[in-house]
Amino acid sequence: MTKQLITLNVNGERSEIAVEPSWTLLETVREQLRLTGTKEGCGTGDCGACSMIVDGRLITSCLMLAVQADGRQITSVEGISTNGDLAPVQRAFIDKGGVQCGYCTPGMIVAARALLDANPNPTLNDVREGLAGNLCRCTGYTRIYESVLAAAEAARA
Amino acid sequence: MAQETITRQEAESGQYRAIGKPIVRPDATGKVTGQSVYTDDIQLPRMLHAKVLGSPHAHARIKSIDTSRARMHPGVEAVVTAADLPPYKMNESNRRGVIFPKEEVLFQGQPLVAALATDPHVAEEALSLINVDYEILQPVVDPVAAMKAGSPLVRSPLGDVDRSEERGHVTLNVEEKESEGKPSNVASQMNFKRGDLEAGFAEADCTVEHTWRSAWVHQSYIEPHATIADYDASGELTIWTSTQAPFFIRDELAQTLGISENHIRVIAPEMGGGFGGKIYLYELLTAALAILVRRPVKYIMSRREDMLAATPAPFAQVALKTGMKRDGTLVALQAELVYDSGAFPGAPMLPGCLLVGGYYNCENLDIQGYEVLTNKASAGALRAPGAHNATFAIESHMDIMAKELGLDALEVRLANAVAEGDLLPSGQPYPRIGLRECLEAIADSNVWKRRAEVAQQPNRGIALAVGGWMGGLQPASAIVCLNADGTINVTVGSSDISGTNTSFKQIAAEVLNVSVDRVSVESADTKTAPYAGMSAGSKTTYTVGRAVQLAAEDAKRQMLDVAAQRMEAAPEELEMVDGEVRVIGSPDKSVTFARIGKWSTNFGAPFASIVGRGAMTTRKSAPGFTAQAAEVEVDPDTGEVTVLAFAIAQDAGFAINPMSVEGQMQGGVSQGIGIALSEEMIFDDSGRLMNANLLDYRLPTTRDLPPIETIIVEVPSEEGPFGARIVGEPSIVAGLAAVGNAIAEATGTRVYEAPFTPERMLRAMGKL
Repeated sequence: MTKQLITLNVNGERSEIAVEPSWTLLETVREQLRLTGTKEGCGTGDCGACSMIVDGRLITSCLMLAVQADGRQITSVEGISTNGDLAPVQRAFIDKGGVQCGYCTPGMIVAARALLDANPNPTLNDVREGLAGNLCRCTGYTRIYESVLAAAEAARA
Repeated sequence: MAQETITRQEAESGQYRAIGKPIVRPDATGKVTGQSVYTDDIQLPRMLHAKVLGSPHAHARIKSIDTSRARMHPGVEAVVTAADLPPYKMNESNRRGVIFPKEEVLFQGQPLVAALATDPHVAEEALSLINVDYEILQPVVDPVAAMKAGSPLVRSPLGDVDRSEERGHVTLNVEEKESEGKPSNVASQMNFKRGDLEAGFAEADCTVEHTWRSAWVHQSYIEPHATIADYDASGELTIWTSTQAPFFIRDELAQTLGISENHIRVIAPEMGGGFGGKIYLYELLTAALAILVRRPVKYIMSRREDMLAATPAPFAQVALKTGMKRDGTLVALQAELVYDSGAFPGAPMLPGCLLVGGYYNCENLDIQGYEVLTNKASAGALRAPGAHNATFAIESHMDIMAKELGLDALEVRLANAVAEGDLLPSGQPYPRIGLRECLEAIADSNVWKRRAEVAQQPNRGIALAVGGWMGGLQPASAIVCLNADGTINVTVGSSDISGTNTSFKQIAAEVLNVSVDRVSVESADTKTAPYAGMSAGSKTTYTVGRAVQLAAEDAKRQMLDVAAQRMEAAPEELEMVDGEVRVIGSPDKSVTFARIGKWSTNFGAPFASIVGRGAMTTRKSAPGFTAQAAEVEVDPDTGEVTVLAFAIAQDAGFAINPMSVEGQMQGGVSQGIGIALSEEMIFDDSGRLMNANLLDYRLPTTRDLPPIETIIVEVPSEEGPFGARIVGEPSIVAGLAAVGNAIAEATGTRVYEAPFTPERMLRAMGKL
């Protein structure tokens, strides 16, 4: 297969890379850019561990081809904190015990960021709706709900 | 030796500086930023990716394998079949004793061939060029039918069965009776008898008899199995793998591969969940490939492969008959438990047999268990393996009998519940346990208090169930070192699967009376850490935590000795306060930990380095119990069950880190609710898994789970650190029964087969 040159704007950094047309955004970011924070849990868009934000929309990067992301603005978990300072949502997941094994966490953080960007004052039900595409097997979600609500509160303060 | 009894009030009143407090996990920062390194994140020079061809059939004879086209595929470095591997010392009676079967495929997805390439896509392409000629054999799918005389056999007869992995999850002084004589699909049996069953039932005012079934379920850790193996020119084998059991893997690999244990290094990087399912699976395969090609090999399972060919938790059928007197006394219990083991022995039939008669005193019982082989991926552990299946039966019966006799569901449980000294069905006495305390605590939950009010509302109901787990036992050890700057390093061999490293920090900080920030913990590397058993059986804090406590006490003694010599005081006159050693009563006379660190590390230092050693073993388990209350609503038209609220009370002995303990309680509850409502591996008549993905195998989502109310109960264990007992597993045990009981409250309908899908609900309600 012939490789195709594309531009990926990930977390504000531009990279030109040659990709196979069949490569997913997930594997391209992980294997070519070596940004391994984003995880693959299923490869079929069911678990949300590979969540990224592309042009403001929450997507599962295992279902998007790298060529489809050409030139678009992409945020992965590595882009949530700025200059090493944790974002409120990250701080809240740490403090409220929203993290256990951590494999769903990058996707959860990205999905929570997308949720809070769209709705800075979510109710518990909003959080449960907003994270419904992200599976966590460790926490039972209780402390994830608390984390996201606490992050919203911290942002208001 | 008995630990001092402490209470939550004492812990919070400042008696303890580090334990009993919700300390945040230090590993959480790497996890929220994406910096933590999991196995698949590791990339080694010259590394090859392995892709594995699994059998499409559940039972077949391999007539031939043609790999010639695959070997020619550009970019393929090697294609490996059973014929390419040296004759390793394998025990084919065990799942882990087979890399690739030579003749007979025993379950769908069983690995047959591996293709290796630097590009994983190329390796994947190579698989499609392999041609395997099978003679399809009759698959044995239903374990109950498979027990009958004349059933076709699942496989050729077994040799000696090695049960060392199961013993890591639950350590008991009883053993299964391996089946002998005529070839049969029954791998093992177990029987417990007590009293006079007939007399017991004759005495009963209420007798209830039902058969309860619960489905195969998958651990569904979000990170599928992942392993890297590297065999270097000097003969050192290094394995990075997502495992709960680094030392177990090392020892097994050493035996099979003929490499000594000191030349094998197993490192468990961060792991994305295990729940009993990540002990030892494809590490041998990956190591064998790496040894063959002399390059690092990475094998990451796809979700589909993991669902097909890992070690899920089995289906069980429990036929139960119970008798109760009018006053609520349980007088007779007869059970037959059949656990599907898949193609290899290893089903958790034994703990099921113990627990079905292990929650309540009953003078007359007869419990018979069967472990039955079928052509499915072999059963492994899932958080208190086998417990939820048995608990579903007994806890449903308790509610049914209480209702028939007009007794209160909670009171009748309290009246029969086991306590210290009461006997397990095996005849062993319980150590100190907190089942009754959990029942009392759940009565105080917000969910249970709404029971009468909710009972008035149509299609809604609240009910409860109890659960428990014995726990595993294995020796453990730890090292505590003082650094030159006064900080503390703790080294342990266990994998951190549930925040245990954070608890170890707290334990060491408590003993040395220093801030938790001054302590760090390294774990899970067999070359640098002293031995620890597998992180399974909920025993890590109970055993390794105790070793950390002992090692910290040893380091403390050494530090006090140094300080005593320098301060010209007796060690008994000294105390540790806030990172200093002080003369008791004269706080101005002190030396800092940093001074002691320098005196024991600098050039020409007068004292030897401070290295505390802790090692322990115990034969005494610290079983953990739970009581759980579920509030459900059933849609009478669609049959859909919604969990509206859920509460769990669990005995943690002493919660070293209440935040971690609550996290374990909530996580286990969510898995219990999944087992109750939606999780089911569905096999067709030919033994093929119909839903090998996370869309059709439905895990609970945020839409399914309300916030879970937690109540920590603390009945101190006798030997755990500061009274801590097992925590991780009991939480999963009672959810299925609690939801089933709540459905009965809501609808008056019993569903005897889990999960309680809309279809099963509608059938049970007579609407389908």
